[in-house]
Amino acid sequence: MIESLASTPFVLALNLVAFLLGLALYRRTGTPLLHPIVGASAFTAACLWLLQIPYDHYQDASGLLYALLGPAVVALAVPLRQNLPIVRRAAWPLLVTLAVGAALAPAAGVLIALLLGAAEPVALALAGKAVTTPIALGLAEKVGAAASLTVGIVVFSGVVGAVLGPPLLARLDIRDQRVLGFALGINAHAIGTARALEISALCGAFAALAMGLCGALTAVVLPLLITP
Amino acid sequence: MYRPPAPVERVCQWLAGALILLLCERLGGALSQWLSLPIPGAVLGMLLLLFGLMAYGSVPRGLAEVSGLLLRSLALLFLPAAVGVYFLRDLSAADWLALLGATIVGTLLSFLLTALLLRNLLDKKPGRETGD
Repeated sequence: MIESLASTPFVLALNLVAFLLGLALYRRTGTPLLHPIVGASAFTAACLWLLQIPYDHYQDASGLLYALLGPAVVALAVPLRQNLPIVRRAAWPLLVTLAVGAALAPAAGVLIALLLGAAEPVALALAGKAVTTPIALGLAEKVGAAASLTVGIVVFSGVVGAVLGPPLLARLDIRDQRVLGFALGINAHAIGTARALEISALCGAFAALAMGLCGALTAVVLPLLITP
Repeated sequence: MYRPPAPVERVCQWLAGALILLLCERLGGALSQWLSLPIPGAVLGMLLLLFGLMAYGSVPRGLAEVSGLLLRSLALLFLPAAVGVYFLRDLSAADWLALLGATIVGTLLSFLLTALLLRNLLDKKPGRETGD
């Protein structure tokens, strides 16, 4: 019975139902604290626990969703192309911010963790926190960090940035959507980009740009800095 | 006058859009492997598509629709990875504390600093726009 529950169609249906529930909850409450990913992941985790489906089985059965991540990254080129003139005009400030942000995001994480007395594996996994999951997984392998931990940190950073970032900037009266989008893309990658696309196409384009470039930059530099 | 495309035509446009995305992803992956680049294939695929679209001059309708659908459901694609957070077991309490602190404080700190930096850099430029 457990076998049939862990089957691919059931798990895909579970994911879809959880996503729709998370979306409905988010729209109903209107608070960014309940971003669909928060409600949906809590619901799915509770279902897995109640039905006693091991996480590994669930992950294997969700292969179709993982397979769609690659095309989704490619699809980011579309909002980028549509907003290219605006991106071009801000090219230099964007490049400088990107270089600083790509170094700052993992450095802040690793430093705080070491100050709080974290073990080495935790600090290593934090180094990949500012890149999107498909890139982070490849990176974790290269610098010798635990894959599940890395993915957990990436997703958690994404949720924190996407949920708390926009209200933080609004409080400081930073209303430029280019700034908000870029900060979301660097610090909250795909989840931040999803949030940015909800705010506006312009915000989404800057998030997509930041996420793609930050991921590529980190993917090139980090393995050179940390050798296992 | 503009005539809305027939259903068959729309399905074809959608399929063509999906095919373009898959093709770019595969090409990017092959290129990354062939040149043994550290950049992931999907990111290379994104750049390939961007250059392609710049050369083509506009975004084909089917591609725009398929991409929009994929990007709107990004949260769904990330769900399996996000659920993994609930199943991290092999950590001590101290590690958890450090992890939570580093993730929350670290993310917000670098979020704030990157936003302030970009705003100041953009403000310095003459002839800036408000962005809306």
